[in-house]
Amino acid sequence: MAEKKSINKLKKQENLIGYIFASPWLIGIIFLGGFPILASLYISFTNYDMVSAPTWIGLKNYTILFTNDSIFWKSLWNTFYHVMIAIPLGLLVGIILALLLNNKVKGMGVYRTLFYLPNVVSIVAMTLLWMWLFQPSFGIINEILDPIYKLFDMEPLRWYQAASSAKMTLILMGLWSAGGSMVIYLAQMQDIPAILYESADIDGANWFQKTFKITLPLMTPSIFFNFIMGIIGGFQVFTIAYIMTGGGPARSTYYYAYYLFDKMMTDNAMGMASAMAWILLVLVLIITAFALRLNKRVVYLGEEG
Amino acid sequence: MVDEYKKPRFTKKQRERIKAIILHFVLAIASFAFLFPFLWMVFTALKTPQELLQGFNQFFPSDPQWGNFVEAVTKIPFFLYLKNSLIIVGFVVLGTLFSATTTAYAFSKLKWKGRDKWFLVMLATMMIPIQVILIPTYIFYSQIGWLGTRLPLIVPAFFGGGAAFYIFLLRQFFKGIPKELTESAIIDGANHFQIFFRIMLPLSKPALLTVGLFTFMATWNDYFGPLIFLSNPDHWTLAIGLRSFQTQFGGRYDLMMAASVLIMMPTLIIFFFAQKSFIEGITFTGIKG
Amino acid sequence: MKKLVLMFVLSFSVLAFASCGGTDDGKTEIVFWHMSPVGSESYSGMKTIINDFNDSQELYKVKGVGFSFWDYWDKANVAIASRDAPNIGLSTIDDVVSRAQSGVLYNISELMEVDTSGENIIDLTEFRQSQMDFSTYEGDLFAMPFTATTRALYVNLDVFAELGLDESDIPTTWSELETIAKMIDVEDDGDIQRLGFDPTYGDATYHGWLWQTGLDFFDEDLNPTLNTQGHIDVLNWIVDFNTDFTRSQLTSFGEANQLLGLNPFAAERVGMIVGNDGLYQTIINSGADFNYTVAPIPVPDDDGIRVSWGSGFSLEMYDNGNDSEAEKAGSYAFYKYLLSEDVQLQLGEVNGWIMAHESAMDTYVVDRPIMQKLLIEVDYAIDKVYVPYAPSWHGNDWQPYYTQILDGDLTPEQGLLQARNNYIQKQENFDSVN
Repeated sequence: MAEKKSINKLKKQENLIGYIFASPWLIGIIFLGGFPILASLYISFTNYDMVSAPTWIGLKNYTILFTNDSIFWKSLWNTFYHVMIAIPLGLLVGIILALLLNNKVKGMGVYRTLFYLPNVVSIVAMTLLWMWLFQPSFGIINEILDPIYKLFDMEPLRWYQAASSAKMTLILMGLWSAGGSMVIYLAQMQDIPAILYESADIDGANWFQKTFKITLPLMTPSIFFNFIMGIIGGFQVFTIAYIMTGGGPARSTYYYAYYLFDKMMTDNAMGMASAMAWILLVLVLIITAFALRLNKRVVYLGEEG
Repeated sequence: MVDEYKKPRFTKKQRERIKAIILHFVLAIASFAFLFPFLWMVFTALKTPQELLQGFNQFFPSDPQWGNFVEAVTKIPFFLYLKNSLIIVGFVVLGTLFSATTTAYAFSKLKWKGRDKWFLVMLATMMIPIQVILIPTYIFYSQIGWLGTRLPLIVPAFFGGGAAFYIFLLRQFFKGIPKELTESAIIDGANHFQIFFRIMLPLSKPALLTVGLFTFMATWNDYFGPLIFLSNPDHWTLAIGLRSFQTQFGGRYDLMMAASVLIMMPTLIIFFFAQKSFIEGITFTGIKG
Repeated sequence: MKKLVLMFVLSFSVLAFASCGGTDDGKTEIVFWHMSPVGSESYSGMKTIINDFNDSQELYKVKGVGFSFWDYWDKANVAIASRDAPNIGLSTIDDVVSRAQSGVLYNISELMEVDTSGENIIDLTEFRQSQMDFSTYEGDLFAMPFTATTRALYVNLDVFAELGLDESDIPTTWSELETIAKMIDVEDDGDIQRLGFDPTYGDATYHGWLWQTGLDFFDEDLNPTLNTQGHIDVLNWIVDFNTDFTRSQLTSFGEANQLLGLNPFAAERVGMIVGNDGLYQTIINSGADFNYTVAPIPVPDDDGIRVSWGSGFSLEMYDNGNDSEAEKAGSYAFYKYLLSEDVQLQLGEVNGWIMAHESAMDTYVVDRPIMQKLLIEVDYAIDKVYVPYAPSWHGNDWQPYYTQILDGDLTPEQGLLQARNNYIQKQENFDSVN
């Protein structure tokens, strides 16, 4: 009887407690984040060159973007392409790395650190690596593939120098930062009870069976996390093109976020840039909300949602 | 059913060793591509400017200029910047761990009105590029008088600022902790604060380490936030100091790499020790008999 | 555990707030932003220049803050947009008008008129008219030229000597350029070992070559042109200059060095290159050690015009709307100081810039033969027009089409047409919101 009472009492308090625990973030978003975010929404309905005061123009920025801006659609397509390919690839590589490194063999710590290195090293050094690998004339990859090119009598791939392959090349380059997701998977794997593996061993299960029946299902919360973050981050892809290709060749790597950046920094069209930001936000929000629905079906949780 | 005992061709020890060798082989090849940029940075730091001119033709420094490291440290007010970096990073890591864990608990284990809508709002905050809110944010801080102090960089961390990523991450981890544990605690008369501190946090050590590590790294390397929001050059951090080696006319690449390598070291060292305790330290007991 | 956390927080707080606050000895503080951060080569020189001013008078104290060149613009833009700009700062000459229009700059002409101090009076005859024209809005100066840049042909004399050539053989026309360039080329099994010249390398630009034929991207009303045979001819000349090599090879040859922060000319991989005055400094910084000189950029064989793209920083006084009279007076005093002959000379020596003050520079180049030649070219340099609907008309708005034309993916006609249509679309959109 006493148990039921305390559970009911706790349920009533739960609403209040929920707010208390969430209060740091709630206060932050309302008082610290609120003004800048709402201001940017307001700015999207204005013409603002960042020097004079903004002037109200209503939906003009949005209509121009949708009806009289050929680059808008191109940049949106480039970003979509990136998201659709980079996310599955990124998930795959991160998971494989984590699976390979989640063991107690000596020296694994060194490898885990090595695979995480790209996330720590400056982007300048990474750019050098990618040049060294992917440069069509003197890059290592084309040198290794040379016999294959000769065999099929084809021109060496131009990687980031050709409009047809540049996006894919940048996606491959982005895989170097899979170390970040690897860390998250490794952390999640620690929560998998050892006893599950032990009883599987007793039943004679091999590595594959253990991986697919135990490890991966129990990793789904973090896989799902990296999937959602992949969507959110993927739609904002920018830096790698800014540094490596300048958005080219032929604007093939001119991503949506890059175009937004240019609108703001070089065209001084802050109003238009803000409009672009809000369009992106709505788009990504819809896709994410949709993906979140998958949560219940795909993610194994230690409890019900 | 009776399992037949088959005598394996190799002993278990031998099989383990073969697996280890194959693993090392595969990883060693793959990791070179990951090691290369770091090696290049270190070698560049040890070269003379004339050697740099040779480009890829000269990979190894012929006469390591260890003095470059000393020069990098003395040219900029290294220890002042170090102190500033430590202050900011220290507060931000603390603040983030605090606000992210409490908020994640609210989103994962508690039911309250509007929870799922606020969760979407939180995700939405990650979908706005920072440049677009930069100027309004700057004006905001200017109006409340925080410019000239470190507050714009520190206070938001205590209120979940920039922590949406970590809140989401921790939410996923918390959700993975079985309901039975929390419910039996409730039956025993515990309140949510006790559950939070005595159950959720201790069981989430790998996740907390991850959040701490990532926050450390992001803040340590962030030059843009300090550049824009720290009006007082006495508050500048190492990340900004690093930029002074890059001038309009090329600058001293060797010194820049030396400084970069030095600035990179804390993150690497912390990572190396953190990942050790991921794998070798934590065992999870007492679940699902 | 909790106690530990609390202690951490307290001690950090103490540290953080302990370094707050400054001293105020009654002097009005003037804030000056420049591009020599602590740790840069030019830092101590700038500090000396500022300290000399502070020591020379009792009323004002200038506080200089240096940002790295690459960060300066982000910082300045945010500050100006938030009306939190420094008292004095640097910007670019070509778009002074847009800032003047918005009222964020002090009217320098007015300040000059009411200046009765007799100290460091700005001598307008020492500054180039073209630069001052760019800094003028509705008849008044709203900024002063601070530095001047230009482009010239850099020539590797060691390579010339190797081929039995000397300074008198430096090309002056486009066809001479082609001839000499081919002599310098060294190829090894299809790969470029050394290149003579390429019209896309270094600081050469399509509009730079266009200007030499009297053409431009826009007409006087700022409508895009790009639709004449002359435009196509110049593009063809650029594309066909080095037909012995593919564009991929030429790009790769240039890329090999760029990424490592090396200039191909400084690395002695290219015999001649169009470079700006900064290349002089880059060569010094890189520690390269070979004989070279500087000459006017070769012009088209017929009716060629001697002109190059030159720009420069502007020195501006920012009006945040809340400056005291003392601040304004102090800022102007320091402003004049920075534009005076002796200080301009110092600034040039410290930063490696060509300063705008002509007499100061005449003194500066006395022992610097290369700089002397560069200084001559400054007189033939003009700045690019500021196009409000396409501020980066020569950059982001042109490069994608330019690279496709160079790669052969578009013919010059197609590329020019697409570029022109893009400008027209931008113009339409700009006009509909302004």
